[in-house]
Amino acid sequence: MKKETLIDIWGDVVAVKSLVLAIVVITTTTMGAHLMAPKDNQTLGLFFGLGGAIFGFAIMAFVLKPKREVFDEDVHPRD
Amino acid sequence: MRMCTHVIELGVLGLMLVAALSAVLIYTVIGFVPGTDETSVLYPISLALVLTGANPMIVLTFFIAAIVTLNLTNTMPTALVCLPGGVMSSPMIEHAIAVKAKGRSAEVIQKMAAASAIGVAISVPIALVIANLIIPFAQNIRDYAAYLFVFGAIFLSLTSRHKLVSLVSIVPLAMLFMSLRHLYWGVGAVPETRVVTVSFFLGITIGPLLVSLFRLMNRRLLNEVKVDANKTIVVPSEANKKRTLNPFKLLSKEERRFASVSAVLANFLFVLSPVGLTILIGQAAGARAKRQEDRADVAMTTMSALIQATYMSGIVIPLLALGLALSPVALGPGAALFNTPPYFTIDHNIHHILSGWQFTVAVVLGAFVAMTLSYVLISRYAKPITMFILRRIPHEAVLGVFIAFIVLLAYMDAGLINVFGVLLVGLVCGTLNKMGVNYGVQFMSLYAAPTLIGFLLGVF
Repeated sequence: MKKETLIDIWGDVVAVKSLVLAIVVITTTTMGAHLMAPKDNQTLGLFFGLGGAIFGFAIMAFVLKPKREVFDEDVHPRD
Repeated sequence: MRMCTHVIELGVLGLMLVAALSAVLIYTVIGFVPGTDETSVLYPISLALVLTGANPMIVLTFFIAAIVTLNLTNTMPTALVCLPGGVMSSPMIEHAIAVKAKGRSAEVIQKMAAASAIGVAISVPIALVIANLIIPFAQNIRDYAAYLFVFGAIFLSLTSRHKLVSLVSIVPLAMLFMSLRHLYWGVGAVPETRVVTVSFFLGITIGPLLVSLFRLMNRRLLNEVKVDANKTIVVPSEANKKRTLNPFKLLSKEERRFASVSAVLANFLFVLSPVGLTILIGQAAGARAKRQEDRADVAMTTMSALIQATYMSGIVIPLLALGLALSPVALGPGAALFNTPPYFTIDHNIHHILSGWQFTVAVVLGAFVAMTLSYVLISRYAKPITMFILRRIPHEAVLGVFIAFIVLLAYMDAGLINVFGVLLVGLVCGTLNKMGVNYGVQFMSLYAAPTLIGFLLGVF
């Protein structure tokens, strides 16, 4: 299996492919939801958009795994 | 009749409490997520609340509770795992690394929460007093507001680390913003009465991220940021955590003094960039610590107090005294409170609608509820929340949401053309940012833009 390309961006590690996927999916759900709102209502437009963003974020948080190895010092004390 | 108004007020008060609690809930979660830019998370949600047509007192309470909560929780990922929670906490990183190396993070986090509470407790009354002192001169200040921004851009350039590049960038940046506005007016993307500002502001804040993303599309530059393995993060032990919740017992005399004095000072400098002030005063305090080994503690506690004070004064003073967004906080994260037609306009916003005491009640309630709740929450649960976020929330999704927010707000501001306009703003500003032109200078250039272009044409 080919190893995924990991990069350091904004202080954390991400996989390039996952990053592109996340940007595309969340932007699509956000704008998709926004465009479904009634055209003449700015309030609903924003709410639909934010809702779409949360929805997209939830999907991506479920699908993608954080690229972090987290150790708890209370469980594994330093020597 | 009198009874009736009291009943309404009780109802509003109840809703204000609900607003404050919701703000604490929402921004505790957001604050713990590393790398969440303050403006991008404060503006859209407060805008949404304003657009529901909610009572201005409720809006104000929500916003105050939101900044207080966010400013405290944002420092948690910074202190625990050295990932900045937002823009404001990035100056703490070097000190956080030093503290973590000594295994003292849990103790310092408690101190920071205490200093943060001091920052809020000091800046709420002082900001209200300063605002009331300024009110008689409000009209004069409004007349000169445009020049204040020009002065601010020059001042922030001269106090920054990279003076020349900042100074030289001011006019070209102003040209960029004005040319986009004139383009939109020219092609009819927006009516000529509409001045696109907030999406440019977001373009500036998201700039460095956009530049980083663009670099990924160049294979050579992509190779420069490649890493071999996942990020290893050790969450420090809580073994040396103190049991008391009394903020005064947690801080040394020196830390209390620096936190209080800087919070007072920051209130008088409310027109300047909050992150700039936090770096300037926070580092100075750290350097003045009597013992070398206390430096990191003093810097981090002072900065915690400063972050609260800069935001509180930056929103309370312009909103109560002027009704004009005359500070970086008011112009960016708080913009929805000043200008969201048809609910708030420059001539009819929270400043004009609320009386002095209504304003004060909203600010005090929001600040008190948020500070008390988030203080206890942080002191008790900073570590489990951080562990949860680090293990469950992928960084990709966080970056994805930012890009989506920017696209949405740019689109709502001036249509599809503005999505690319904001992209252009982000690329230019992000590039300059990496060359040392800080956010403060860029924001000031944005607000000084019409005046600067006027100067160029010789129209004074």
